[in-house]
Amino acid sequence: MRITCPFCGERELGEFTYLGDAKPARPAPGASEDEVYDYVYLRDNIAGVMDESWYHGGGCRAWLKVTRNTLTHEISAVEPAPGAGARQVAK
Amino acid sequence: MAEFSWETRGPLDRALVAGRHGAQGDAGVSLSEIRDFDLVQVMARRGKAAEMATAAQVRFGVAAPETPKAVGRADATLIWSGPDQFMVLSKGRKHTMESLAPVFASCASLSDQSHARVLISISGAKARAMLAKLSSIDLHSDVFGVGAAAATSMDHTSVMLWRGADRDGQVVFNLLVFATFAESLWHAVLDSAAEYGVDIAHSMEL
Repeated sequence: MRITCPFCGERELGEFTYLGDAKPARPAPGASEDEVYDYVYLRDNIAGVMDESWYHGGGCRAWLKVTRNTLTHEISAVEPAPGAGARQVAK
Repeated sequence: MAEFSWETRGPLDRALVAGRHGAQGDAGVSLSEIRDFDLVQVMARRGKAAEMATAAQVRFGVAAPETPKAVGRADATLIWSGPDQFMVLSKGRKHTMESLAPVFASCASLSDQSHARVLISISGAKARAMLAKLSSIDLHSDVFGVGAAAATSMDHTSVMLWRGADRDGQVVFNLLVFATFAESLWHAVLDSAAEYGVDIAHSMEL
């Protein structure tokens, strides 16, 4: 599998580290215990297209959001994760 | 109590043996460790990338690279090292932390990497063939021309690789590697190059 880093171009899998589902968002301060539990522990097990976080540690050290089909490994989109580089974090 | 001798020495002092290595005959690969350079990492603070680019333009007379490439000036080379960050490579204390800090004070964070990296210059007729065994990126001249750069991995080690100006009609690749990984990568490079014959040296010149 190869991933096309938006900064570096197409690179082999060995340069990247997989974090997991890119969807979970940190709950607001003061959120209920259930919400925090959900954020920390509960994950969907998607058979199909999902957004994932990958880290290009063997290259430009940017965090990426990769849209990948978990059944076919087909990658349909790669974009910088919010806050990658010095860009403003998307609000 | 045991006596220790704390001597300063370069990361390749033990591994680098100047002279010939590998196959005899004309050397296909020349390896040279470049010593005594100044290297400063410049990283834009959040939302300050444009300001950093302007500051670099004023200081170096050239725009900081925004894509993977190395821009050579008379007294410094600016090498892209990631989104909104680059490295300044120079000689003779012309661009050090002290002199660059005021230039980028309002927009970027600096980190001195002069003693944290080893710089290896690779040239020769078989330089590309040798690197192809270690790197998965395409180094053909059509794709990776003079000034092209890449943050990539070789032998599971993060490196900065860029192509310098040709020397004596031969391609020149420059490799920056973390100091503590340098000896390991050096051996990998030697193993890879042995079949072509290697000239090994070290130099104080960039």
